[in-house]
Amino acid sequence: MATHDNTEQVTDTTDEAVGWESKLRYFLNSDFVRSAPYWGIPFVLMSIAVYGGIGYNFAISFTDYEGLGTPDYSTLDLEMYTQALSSDAFISAAQNNLVLLVGFTTICLVLGLFLAVLLDHGIRFSEKFQTVYLLPMSLSFVVTAQLWLWMFNVESGILNLVVTTLGFNPVDWLGNPSIALGAVIFALIWQFSGYTMVVYLAGLQSIPDDQFEAARVDGASIIRTYLRIIVPQLKEASVSAAVVLMVFALKAFTFLYALVGRYRPPNGTDILATLMVRRAFKFGEWAYSAAIATMLLIMALGVIGPYLYYQYKQGSL
Amino acid sequence: MARLTLDDVTKVYTDDGGDDIVAVEEISLDIDDGEFLVLVGPSGCGKSTTLRMMAGLETVTEGELRLEERVLNDVSAQDRDIAMVFQSYALYPHKSVRGNMSFGLEESTDLPDDEIRQQVETTTDMLGISDLLDRKPGQLSGGQQQRVALGRAIVRDPEVFLMDEPLSNLDAKLRAEMRTELQRLQEELGVTTVYVTHDQTEAMTMGDRVAVLDDGELQQVGTPLDCYHRPSNLFVAGFIGEPSMNFFPGSLSGDTFSGDGFDYPLSGATRDQLGDAGGLTLGIRPEDVAVGERRSGERTFDAEVVVVEPQGNENTVHLRFADGDEGPQFTATTTGRSRVEAGDRTTVTFPEDAIHLFDGETGDALKNRELPSNRAIDAFVSN
Repeated sequence: MATHDNTEQVTDTTDEAVGWESKLRYFLNSDFVRSAPYWGIPFVLMSIAVYGGIGYNFAISFTDYEGLGTPDYSTLDLEMYTQALSSDAFISAAQNNLVLLVGFTTICLVLGLFLAVLLDHGIRFSEKFQTVYLLPMSLSFVVTAQLWLWMFNVESGILNLVVTTLGFNPVDWLGNPSIALGAVIFALIWQFSGYTMVVYLAGLQSIPDDQFEAARVDGASIIRTYLRIIVPQLKEASVSAAVVLMVFALKAFTFLYALVGRYRPPNGTDILATLMVRRAFKFGEWAYSAAIATMLLIMALGVIGPYLYYQYKQGSL
Repeated sequence: MARLTLDDVTKVYTDDGGDDIVAVEEISLDIDDGEFLVLVGPSGCGKSTTLRMMAGLETVTEGELRLEERVLNDVSAQDRDIAMVFQSYALYPHKSVRGNMSFGLEESTDLPDDEIRQQVETTTDMLGISDLLDRKPGQLSGGQQQRVALGRAIVRDPEVFLMDEPLSNLDAKLRAEMRTELQRLQEELGVTTVYVTHDQTEAMTMGDRVAVLDDGELQQVGTPLDCYHRPSNLFVAGFIGEPSMNFFPGSLSGDTFSGDGFDYPLSGATRDQLGDAGGLTLGIRPEDVAVGERRSGERTFDAEVVVVEPQGNENTVHLRFADGDEGPQFTATTTGRSRVEAGDRTTVTFPEDAIHLFDGETGDALKNRELPSNRAIDAFVSN
């Protein structure tokens, strides 16, 4: 106790000695305050617009808010979450989301790696090729969606032209629920494999030639050199490309919305984002949608979290 | 272990404009079983290209490359049974020391895993790096990485070792250490070795024989002392030896060599070796220039000291003939205890048995220095 008293006394004397005016002046002159206009404004805007929004959404998800009016915060429970988790629509949307996430990301990575290896392995004029593959990436989802809508068209689409020329029956790419998701993934891969290729190509080109030469002298064939020496060195490129792809997979809403121009995407392609928007803005089930949104956020954090942790461990954060 | 033969090996690159660039021209070399051959030359002389052709990393444009009786020209690098140590070491960054060293065995042989493991451990024991087996290259010092790179070549027990300036990334002290170590290892293993370097200390001390290259052409192959004492041309004479040989361009008038700032009388025996060459270059090694011995005679000249570089055991003295104001500078090495200072006036003597004479146009050696007993050197250099 005695020690505690002593400390207090010391603080008191310092307070008296310095005085509150000079303390204030000292505070106002500190780097923290003087730099506040620069970081403070974005900080406040971000807090309100993003984190405020997330917080508000989180709060609503515990209420029964529906239709017009204001949310009632008097009874908060997890009813919306249990309701969502037990609904078939939610389960199937979550499944589709998972398939999209895993399928799209994996195929994009493998295809991008393959293209990058081919280019790196000595096709000349590789810079022109890079642009060709990267071009789809520069298109907006809306354009891609419209483009593939035409290509997937049952009667006049180019894909069915090929299929019928080969002697098969025309396929209803987007109308058949069991292949619609595959068709959507295919279109997204078309758009994003160029991106993964460029990421991998940059990784490949930073690997010095002598790695290939050392492996050759060591007796490894070209394929084994890539498998055992080169590709393992692309770990960082893979991680960063995978994170970007997964984030895009989660926000494929734009693509699906643009494909049909309404909240109801083709049968079999409903994902959490489309389900959430439809529930909210078509049916006015705000609380229910907020619960879906929260779960979607948790999924996204599940993707980003490990990446951030990885970066943190590497010391790059 | 095997004998490696290069028969008129030529490498021609074609640049983007379609022009041919000759990187290596008609090199013929015979590298004996167990021999340590050093390929030496200035940068861009084609020594690395030659080595890479041996490794199979470059194609041979013309000529033949043989390992014993087997022609290697069209054999891919994977199937040559040749190991190479790279200048950058080229260790696989994602693999541990063990992984780096076993990769070659896994790819080029079908040895069972435990045998590979055992061979790797034997090799690391030999190199004194057995405690590093589980580390990644990034966690090793330069010297340790160098040893791993060597170990990666040794563990495969190849027919031939190729080394591309393997010591150039080490600091001076470590380099001297590794030089001896490499020689010891090579002797112990008895593997035919081709070693590329631009460092002439390495060339002099390490090899059984030295092959000097310039501008894609082979200048001379011989023992280090042979190249030092009996250079076949001006280039070899100037390249081997540190500080390098002094050259005085001039011409022959009667029995006298007249250079810029001095006239040097030649004895009848020397004169006879020169034939009717017009232009000549006189060469003398710095250690053969006798400074300030107060000798007089027709092969002694007045000189002025320009700069002295003391090295402790010896001094490198830069001199200029006293007669010619802007005459050529030359160097002499004197013992470290001799007192010479810049500005001193002194005399220099070029003993006739120490001079080399080269054809002024072709640069070919017309007369090399005499040695106390040529037979003694012959016996020494042929070892």
